[in-house]
Amino acid sequence: MTFEREIAEHTHRRTKARAMGSKRKLEEFAAAGILNARQRITTLLDEGSFQEVGLFAVSERPEDADRSPGDGVVTGYGRVDGREIAIIAYDFTALGASSAPVASQKFQHIRKVSISRGIPMVVLGEAGGARIPDVMGARGIARTRSHQVYDRRRQSPWITAILGQSYGSSSWKAAMSDFVLMRKGAVLAVSSPKVTAVAISEEVDPEDLGGWRLRTETTGEVDQAYATDQEVLAAIRRFLGYMPSNANEPPPRAPVPAGSGDDMARILEIVPAQRERVYDVRKVIEAIVDKGSFFPIKERFAKVLSCGLGRIDGRVVGLIASNPIFKGGALDPQACRKATSFIVMCDSFNIPLVFLTDTPGFLVGIDGEKLGLAGQIMNFNHALEMATVPKLAVIMRKSYGQAYINMGGSADEIAAWFSADVSFMDPAAAVNVLHGIKRNDDPARFEDLREELSRNTGPYDLAAGFLAQDVIDPRETRSWLARMLAVHELRSTGGISRHNMATWPYNF
Amino acid sequence: MKRIEVIAETPGSVLRHDIGIGDSVAEDDAIITIESMKMEIPIAAPVDGRVVEILVQPGDAVATGQPVAILEA
Repeated sequence: MTFEREIAEHTHRRTKARAMGSKRKLEEFAAAGILNARQRITTLLDEGSFQEVGLFAVSERPEDADRSPGDGVVTGYGRVDGREIAIIAYDFTALGASSAPVASQKFQHIRKVSISRGIPMVVLGEAGGARIPDVMGARGIARTRSHQVYDRRRQSPWITAILGQSYGSSSWKAAMSDFVLMRKGAVLAVSSPKVTAVAISEEVDPEDLGGWRLRTETTGEVDQAYATDQEVLAAIRRFLGYMPSNANEPPPRAPVPAGSGDDMARILEIVPAQRERVYDVRKVIEAIVDKGSFFPIKERFAKVLSCGLGRIDGRVVGLIASNPIFKGGALDPQACRKATSFIVMCDSFNIPLVFLTDTPGFLVGIDGEKLGLAGQIMNFNHALEMATVPKLAVIMRKSYGQAYINMGGSADEIAAWFSADVSFMDPAAAVNVLHGIKRNDDPARFEDLREELSRNTGPYDLAAGFLAQDVIDPRETRSWLARMLAVHELRSTGGISRHNMATWPYNF
Repeated sequence: MKRIEVIAETPGSVLRHDIGIGDSVAEDDAIITIESMKMEIPIAAPVDGRVVEILVQPGDAVATGQPVAILEA
């Protein structure tokens, strides 16, 4: 046979590189029930679809070449439900997936292909930070600059999952992504607990520094957390199902599952008639959208606002709903941040917005003011004005004050339920403010004044001035939305928005 | 067994206790209800557990961050 020696060497080199780095670490991963980088890739992708690039890359330091397969990162292309994606999986067994120059070139190649060819980029992150000694000294650190790495215009969706200890490089990628996931037990932070402890002379617990509760509940930098690698990877596949491959495509339409809309009749049982009573708006969302299609985003952050992707009549929508069961549905600064980043993502990827509104207003007070409530309300409003995807709003019950404008008051098409109640503020609160009377002071007079201030706040008052386009029975919500999504399709641009916020930040 | 504080997320006044001491609760179950923003707002269990103390009474004012009950989980 010709090329016998070459074939043997090629096979040997390939096998060795695919075996990854430290055997001990591979065994530790297996013992802990955690997938390694290559297992993650095969679990995520359609079977047999992985096309690797950079298998033979190694550290540029000759003494490290032998123990740095791929230079600490597995990269390439693959398919999810038949659609191409670009993928970066940090390999913790190869020098702790620490960042080094050759690995950076691989990142840049994948990034460039993702942008220029219009395919989503998925990062499976786990990295010990910058590699020492490679980045030591003036030349070491200065050389890590790379042009345009931070120039993101949302040409294609980026998704990052943090699946282990993540410091430096993979944390930056998470912070620049449209959707961020985490395995519970993983840590997402700027620097490792060791570096942090040295820098600030304080022992830090990794969970306190960057555990899933901090990231999903307090900072909102991570959208969703799951118990296992497998669940995280399944969630990435699911998220991708709602996304176009790039900003110049509309999101994919799907068949409508049997049973969709069957729960619409129950809506009147979910939403209480008494305005001070609360309920979980997620039950309303589940009833409206195609069966089983609601996929919450930032589920544990700013729970007062439920945001998520879903389908109505097979069309992808971004749902933004105030949730009375948390804080009575009163919007706080975190809720505004959540709304803003969600609107930016939806508009950038041509996903129409649907508002479901039941809010007593913005949660005023010292707590909110300390977090810059006014600025956050205006960011939210600014995003709404910039968004050119179709915006549809359903005013379910209360919608008061400035929050009325933020929660759909400026939508392209507004339907008020017959239970809608719209004003500058809650009539009972208005009695306190305008007349200085509380219910206990003089119940009869209070009730008279409340009655007086409740006039002209109903759905037909809104519709009389054409400030709502229709008054509907709540049970008609799904069919109204389905019809309006069809009417408002962006035909003249093939379903593409103007992407006015493509260069807006990722975190607010 | 860990003692976990149930914290008020919004200021308001206590309307009622939704469950009693010794009761088991699941995450997101209402423990007490306060009135704020003219709404009846539940303060819910942050985790599954058992209520061992309730620290506020109907009519009390609560501030953001104030513990209102203790769970054992």
